[in-house]
Amino acid sequence: MTHSPAIESRALTKRFGSLTAVDSLDLAVQPGEIYGLLGPNGAGKTTAIRALLRFINPTKGTVALLGGDPRDLNIRRRVGYVGGDVTLDRGLRVRELLSWYGDLRGGVGTGAIDRLCEQLTLDQSRKIGELSTGNRRKVAIVQALMHDPDVLLLDEPTAGLDPLLQRTVLRLVRARRDAGTAILYSSHLLPEVENIANRVGILRRGVLVREDTMANLREVARQRLELRFARDIPPGLLTGVDGVSSVDIVGRTAHIVVDGSVAALVKRIAEHDVERIVTHNEDLEDTFFTYYQDGEDRP
Amino acid sequence: MKPGTVLRQMLRERRRTVLWWTLAVLALTAITAASYPAVRDMGSALEQVLEFMPEGTLELMGAAGGITSPAGYLNSQLYSNILPILLLIFGIGTAAWTVAGAEREGTLEPLLANPVSRSRTALERFTGTAILLSVPTLAMTLLLIVLRTPFELGDVDAGKLVAAGVGTYLLVLLFVSLTYAVGAATGSKGGAIATGAGAAAATYVVFALSSFVDFFRDLRVISPWHWFLDNSPLIEGWNWPAIGVPLLVVIPAVALGTALFTQRDLR
Repeated sequence: MTHSPAIESRALTKRFGSLTAVDSLDLAVQPGEIYGLLGPNGAGKTTAIRALLRFINPTKGTVALLGGDPRDLNIRRRVGYVGGDVTLDRGLRVRELLSWYGDLRGGVGTGAIDRLCEQLTLDQSRKIGELSTGNRRKVAIVQALMHDPDVLLLDEPTAGLDPLLQRTVLRLVRARRDAGTAILYSSHLLPEVENIANRVGILRRGVLVREDTMANLREVARQRLELRFARDIPPGLLTGVDGVSSVDIVGRTAHIVVDGSVAALVKRIAEHDVERIVTHNEDLEDTFFTYYQDGEDRP
Repeated sequence: MKPGTVLRQMLRERRRTVLWWTLAVLALTAITAASYPAVRDMGSALEQVLEFMPEGTLELMGAAGGITSPAGYLNSQLYSNILPILLLIFGIGTAAWTVAGAEREGTLEPLLANPVSRSRTALERFTGTAILLSVPTLAMTLLLIVLRTPFELGDVDAGKLVAAGVGTYLLVLLFVSLTYAVGAATGSKGGAIATGAGAAAATYVVFALSSFVDFFRDLRVISPWHWFLDNSPLIEGWNWPAIGVPLLVVIPAVALGTALFTQRDLR
C-alpha cells in the first residue's frame, strides 16, 4: 500500500501502575473510513484515544496521525477531537470559546461555526456553564469539526444527546468521512456505530478481541426482542426459526434472543398480529456475548 | 496560530477578578497610609512600649529603623505582612489554575487538542499570572507615591517606593513560580498550592524566628523574606538580595516546571 493509515497505532500498550489499560493495540484507519471502537466502559477506549493524541505517552509501541507525531503542531492543525469527558471553560460564552479555539487554529471562518451551530441547534450566546450536558457536547462537536479536519477522534461523541441530535451528529460525521477524513469513533453501544462504521474493533480489558467489517459482525451480533401478540401465541410458531437461540413465552409476550439476522423471525411472525416489538439495546457484553464469554475463559 | 492567544484569553477572562483584588489592595494601602500621621504623633510613647518587647521584635516587623519613621511604619504595617500575604493568595490561586487547576477542571485537554504546544500554553499562562500580579502591586505603589505628601510620608522618596514595589512583587512571584512549577510538573493542584503556600509560610517562620533563635539566624539566608525585609528597598533602595536573588529562583523553577510538563502524561 502506498498510503500510510491516517490513524495508526502499533503494539500500543499503556500501563497505569499495575493496571494495563491498553495492551498491544494495533489500529489502522484509512482516509475516508469510519472505524468504530467498541467496548464497555473501562475497556480502554479513552486511554487508546488519549494515547493516539499523545496526551499520555505510550508505555510501549508507537502511535501516528497522518503519518507523523500527533504532537507536531502541523499535524494537530488537521486533527479534531471530542473527549469523552467534555469540560470546556464554563465562564465563556459558546461564541467566545469557539472563536478563541478558531484563533488557535489560525482563524476559522464564522460561517463554518454558524453553520454547524445551526445544524446542531446550539445557541452561541449562552454561557457554557449554563448549558445542559447535551448542549456542552454540541460545543465540543462544533469545535472538533469547524476546521474540516483530516483526522477525527471521537470518544463517545453522542453520549447525552437525544436520538434526533444523535442522528444529526452521525450525519455530520458521515459527511466528514465522505470528504476523506479518517474517523475513529468510540462507543459502548453497537447500534450507535453500526450504521456508519466501515469497520469495527471490539476492545475488552484493553485487548482488541475482534476486528471486522460491520457486515460480518452483524451476523454474530445478539439481539433481544420482546414480541407482544394480540392473541394467544400458536404453539410451535417460534420454534425452529433461523437465528433464534432462545424463546421464553409469558402469556402473549415472547422474549426472544436472536443471533445475527432477524429476517427469518420476522417472516415467520408476519401474519400473526404482533402488536408491538420492543428491542433492548443491551450492552456490548451481551451483544457480543461469544467474545466476552470466550475471553472470560482465557487464563 | 498567533503568539499570545492563550495569554490574551486568560487576561480577558480574569480582568474582573484582578480589578477586585486591586481595589482591595488599594483600600488597604490607603487606610494604612492615612493612619500614619496618628501613629507618628504617638511617636515616642510607642517607641517606649516597643523597648520593652524582646529584642528582634522590630526586625520581625521589618522596622529596625524604628516604627514611627515613614519607612519603618510602612515596612511594619504593609510590606512585611498584610500586603505580600494578600498578593500571595491572589498569585498562588492564579498560578495553581494555570496548568494543574485547568487540568483538574478538564479544560486543559481540549485546549491542547488545538495546534498549540504545551510549553507555549504553560508559559503564556505563567506570563499571564505575572502580569495580573503586577496590576495590584503597581497600583498600590502609585497610590503611595501620590499619598505620601498628604499623609506626611514624604521622607520616603518615590524611587524607593518603586523599588519596594518591585521587591514585594518579586518576593511574591517567587512563591507563585514554585506553585506554577509544581502544578505544571505534577498536575496536582493541591500539591501546587501546598508547595507555594507552604514554602511562603515556612520561610516566613525562619525569617521571623531568626531574630530570636540562633539556629534560624543561620538558616535565614534561605528565606526570601530575609532577602527582602532585612535589605528593605524602602531604606536601602535597589539592592541585589531584594531585587536580584528572587529571579535566581523564579527563572529555573519556571523552566524546570515547564520542561517536565511537556514530557508527562496529562491527568
